[in-house]
Amino acid sequence: MDTASLNSTLLHRGAEADLSLATIGPWRVVVKRRVRKEYRNPILDERIRHDRTISEASVIHEAKTAGARVPSIVGVDIENNAIVMTHLAGTVARECLDDMGKSEAQKLLRSIGEQIGLLHTAGIVHGDLTTSNVIVSPSGPPFIVDFGMSRRSIEAEDRGVDLHLLQRSIIASHRQNPSSMMNSMIRGYEEITGMKVASSTWRKAREIARRGRYFAIR
Amino acid sequence: MICLGIESTAHTFGASLVDANDRILTNVNSTYRPPVGVGIHPRKASEHHATVADDIVRTALSTTDGSAIDPDIIAYAAGPGLGPCLRVGATVGRALSSFLKKPLVPVHHGVAHLDIAMSIAKARDPLAVLVSGGHTSILVHVGKKWRVYGETQDITLGNLLDMFGREARLPSPGGASVGREAMKGQNLIKLPYTVKGNDVAYSGLLTAAATLLRKQSNLADLCFSLQETAFSMLSEAVERSLVQTRRSEVLLAGGVAASPRLREMIGSVAEDHGSSFHPVPIEYSGDCGAQIACSGRLAFESGVKISISDSFVTPRWRMDEVDVPWIPRA
Repeated sequence: MDTASLNSTLLHRGAEADLSLATIGPWRVVVKRRVRKEYRNPILDERIRHDRTISEASVIHEAKTAGARVPSIVGVDIENNAIVMTHLAGTVARECLDDMGKSEAQKLLRSIGEQIGLLHTAGIVHGDLTTSNVIVSPSGPPFIVDFGMSRRSIEAEDRGVDLHLLQRSIIASHRQNPSSMMNSMIRGYEEITGMKVASSTWRKAREIARRGRYFAIR
Repeated sequence: MICLGIESTAHTFGASLVDANDRILTNVNSTYRPPVGVGIHPRKASEHHATVADDIVRTALSTTDGSAIDPDIIAYAAGPGLGPCLRVGATVGRALSSFLKKPLVPVHHGVAHLDIAMSIAKARDPLAVLVSGGHTSILVHVGKKWRVYGETQDITLGNLLDMFGREARLPSPGGASVGREAMKGQNLIKLPYTVKGNDVAYSGLLTAAATLLRKQSNLADLCFSLQETAFSMLSEAVERSLVQTRRSEVLLAGGVAASPRLREMIGSVAEDHGSSFHPVPIEYSGDCGAQIACSGRLAFESGVKISISDSFVTPRWRMDEVDVPWIPRA
């Protein structure tokens, strides 16, 4: 699939990729193209972009098969480090979480927890789980997007990173009460994974948070 | 109002005067240099500090014409750092505060790195990147505190470069030595690249680089590859954080901020996203008295002071535990 000839308009400039909107037949699609980073050595740059494009496309497809709400892969353009996927209607959680009332926010976090549970149960860890990578859908559960850092793993450590990152993004960018948000998330998560996986993951998440520098109590 | 700042968290003992307009009047420092291949021994460093303290403070308190200046505030680095080293600076601070009858102000060394960089750059509310032997953190200020947006999960960037430098028998500080060698290298050797969300982890990279070193890889190429990989990891984490926090300024502070290659890379990230870039001037990047004086003055103006009986040192002290109400800066 060659995306270079595709007629598209730029939608969003992310940290590592440009997202643009295009139409293929009946579908509105998003082209995610990993762009060259000026700061990075060209060999390292090409390696990172190539590896992540392939891994992201296959993980998204696997997540879909596992029943998680993720975009559908339309095609992969390895030469241009681009993935074509279906466009999702909705609002980024980072933009709307603070406008919600407490119970609505708790409900959202609970369904985010369920989605993470589905991924983890399928042996997929997201690797960059922040409220910027959750799209709140007007119809049905929220979508999880941006699998650029994701990997296949059944380690509690890797699952813990996901919950740790989500918690930190809630603490650092939102006004909602973090512990109430995370409690709701964990309830939804546990519903899918069962208590055993949920408690080992959450224990790891707290351990990872304490790994940062200069904690008095470890 | 003149503030005397005393730094003694690790290898450097320093004293400095900063006035009410944020001007650095004096800045006198002496750094303990361990022998090649050896790290900082906390007791030996503290002995160095105790030996030079008198001269350093005396020099910092005198003007060019030789007359002495009486400070209005005494600020000391209360942590984080090496216990024996911290205690030397705290002792000097307590003694001066008690003798001169001037208020004593405890300062967080990491917060101080950011304060001096912000003062010089006149930055208001930046995404801050703090890279040194003690810290590798990406921070934004929310409410009253610096919040950690990303950080190292194991060793710091300064640790990585220092420890590799010691393995390679390069002179301290490791960052400068590795940087010099890297200029001669061209071939990129594949090394572990570990970014987890906005966090980085450097210990795997250190092990891999040290193993290749023992296998007699070309030192210049290895330094080049180590630096490119480690800095790219951090730059990527910074870029993610910048996109998420949308700050219009990027600040780079701490000892490793002296690296020209890192300045180039973080500067390129900032430019790419339309943010202004403010690297700390090289002479104030490493540990120095001026950072403590600068931060101490700001803290005092926000009502921070401590009685001598409560003036402990805190070897482990997280940046996100400190109230920093003076940011955003006017």
